[in-house]
Amino acid sequence: MTRLLSSLRDGKGFDIVLVAVPLLFLLALSGLPLIYNVVMSFQEVDMFSLGTFARPWVGLKNYIAVFSAPETWPIMRNTAVFVVCSIAGQFLLGFGLALFFTQKFPGASYIRGLFLASWVMPGLVVGAIWNWILAGDFGVLNYVLKALGIISENIFWRSDTNWSLWAVIIANIWLGTAFNMILLAVGLAGIPRDLYEAAELDGATSWQRFWTMTLPMMRSTIGAVISLGLIFTLQQFDLFAAITSGGPANSSNVAQYWAWEQSFRQYDFAKGSTISVVMIAVVMIASIIYVRSTRHEVRG
Amino acid sequence: MTIRFGLVGAIALATTSMLTLGAALAQDEVTITIWSLDDANQPALNLAREFDEREPGIKVEYREIQFDDVVSEAMRAFATGQAPDIIAVDNPEHALFAARGAFLDITDRIANSEVIDPANYFPGPLNSVAWDGKLYGVPKATNTIALYYNKDLYAKAGITEPPKTWDELVEVSRKLNDPANNIYGLAFSAKANEEGTFQFLPWAQMGGGGYDNINAPGAVKALEIWKTILDEKLASPDTLTRGQWDSTGTFNSGNAAQVISGPWELNRMLEEAKFDWGVALLPTETEGGTRSSAMGDFNWAIFASTQHPDEAFKALEYFASQDDRLFPEFGQLPARSDIGLPETGVALKDAALKVFLEQLQYAQARGPHPEWPKISKAIQDAIQQALTGQTEPQAALDQAAATIGGILGN
Repeated sequence: MTRLLSSLRDGKGFDIVLVAVPLLFLLALSGLPLIYNVVMSFQEVDMFSLGTFARPWVGLKNYIAVFSAPETWPIMRNTAVFVVCSIAGQFLLGFGLALFFTQKFPGASYIRGLFLASWVMPGLVVGAIWNWILAGDFGVLNYVLKALGIISENIFWRSDTNWSLWAVIIANIWLGTAFNMILLAVGLAGIPRDLYEAAELDGATSWQRFWTMTLPMMRSTIGAVISLGLIFTLQQFDLFAAITSGGPANSSNVAQYWAWEQSFRQYDFAKGSTISVVMIAVVMIASIIYVRSTRHEVRG
Repeated sequence: MTIRFGLVGAIALATTSMLTLGAALAQDEVTITIWSLDDANQPALNLAREFDEREPGIKVEYREIQFDDVVSEAMRAFATGQAPDIIAVDNPEHALFAARGAFLDITDRIANSEVIDPANYFPGPLNSVAWDGKLYGVPKATNTIALYYNKDLYAKAGITEPPKTWDELVEVSRKLNDPANNIYGLAFSAKANEEGTFQFLPWAQMGGGGYDNINAPGAVKALEIWKTILDEKLASPDTLTRGQWDSTGTFNSGNAAQVISGPWELNRMLEEAKFDWGVALLPTETEGGTRSSAMGDFNWAIFASTQHPDEAFKALEYFASQDDRLFPEFGQLPARSDIGLPETGVALKDAALKVFLEQLQYAQARGPHPEWPKISKAIQDAIQQALTGQTEPQAALDQAAATIGGILGN
């Protein structure tokens, strides 16, 4: 007992405790549900067998059903478009704003802080607000575009199959830009000022400075921002629920919303978990690529 | 050993004393749990509290659950053996539980009851608590949909009476449509959720179809009419993604001349609508043709796992005996044809309620079928495919009929 206590006091045991507690936490609250999810995707699950493990095994039947459904490929395509365009939009706007706020002008850091307001707002609230902005008949966006002479007729952002996915992408870019900006601003602040001063003395233009110094030094930050963006956009559910509900005719449906729909609207839990297993696989592949691409990097 | 004897003795003593003291004491132990989505302004919570006070032998525990969680909470509770004694569920989901034996068959209890008489209920709500010829619950309240119209806009367009047939509805909507002033002829909901099914199914039924015959010629015609309305922009394109509440909002603000919606809008409309309005029965396929309407609202059910079926049924009897208070006190329509609604003194509302009560006689339950969510999804998909122009109405409904046929096991 005393040895145990002293090991806690001398630091070694304490380290182990510190690591063990979060590990147990992870195992119980992330690991087990993950395994449960994978198990469910190989079983026949309905609402009444949800609470037990004793369910008939069906092998790959759920996977075959998911991949042979006519809506699968359009939904996968939508998911890819949503993820790529959201990340691209959030990153470009976020990086632009981060660079802008590194300029020295009065109140720069305060205004930058205000941008975080969008990030802390719950997705459903953001969705409700964008719902009004994007409304077809009386939406603000249509009014502005009309006043600027860009469009002559209202665009039904939410109800036109050509636009519905973009309606959610626009809202999601707005939601995620501030987070990207903050992470990238932190990365920018980590680049020593004197490097820039030296480069300027050597006659490097601002474009050259950005291209040959800022970007390479930001590599790990950019990697982190993009991989986090992948996770956040694949998680994005509230905006779909609030703006289009995946409609009309699945034109804005994505894998994560589809999985929820299967589980909690159709009560087909097996199919819902099958879709999420496929999503987990995609995220894992993406994170392996990210880890491999950055492992040779020296961080400091 | 002594401890053990003591324990056994105590139990024996307790048992005998319970037996000798009779039923009054035994009943003291009974607690029934009731789950419903009603809050303090709605009937279930208040009636449960009253029942608790009236019955000294029965303690009532009430839990309020959110609309979206009713089914998943109930399933989980039942699967883990912690289901309440009584629950209120949305009517199309009743069969889901009844068919799996999760709800108690109360056919015999109702037959012997002096309070609940099936003959007093509207056929639609009563049908929704039935499965396989047996009764698994009691309708809690009901509602339906009808056509609201803006009398001022009617007068301006020279229309004297609301449309009686589908073709007339399209015709009238064309006359009322006024894009220059941001006025659509009609508003309704074709959203890809239960609301879309709720609004479309009555049309299919009036056309001689139904969920088990969704591609009947009349149902196809109904979907073609819907497509005409959207293609000609007689209704906002947002009809595809907007629920009934938001659609009715456009009517209240004067941006739609007519709306298909339910009596739950009456109070809001009285507050918001700054014009004269009326309510008419849903137009039928042909003049004097078959009528039908959607049926909404919740049902009471007793879980099969209950330890106190007698007390639980007594609670349902009490709730049913108070049905005449549903409308005056809580603004909900009782699912019974033997209860007249008292005049509210608000002329617009009283006139509207008369129409809704008439419409209720044609209201049909969705299903009942344990796989209702999947059947409903097939119908929603067909509506959305056709209205977005991706599939012709006939082909879309044929596809839905094939999917539903698979679910029904045909």
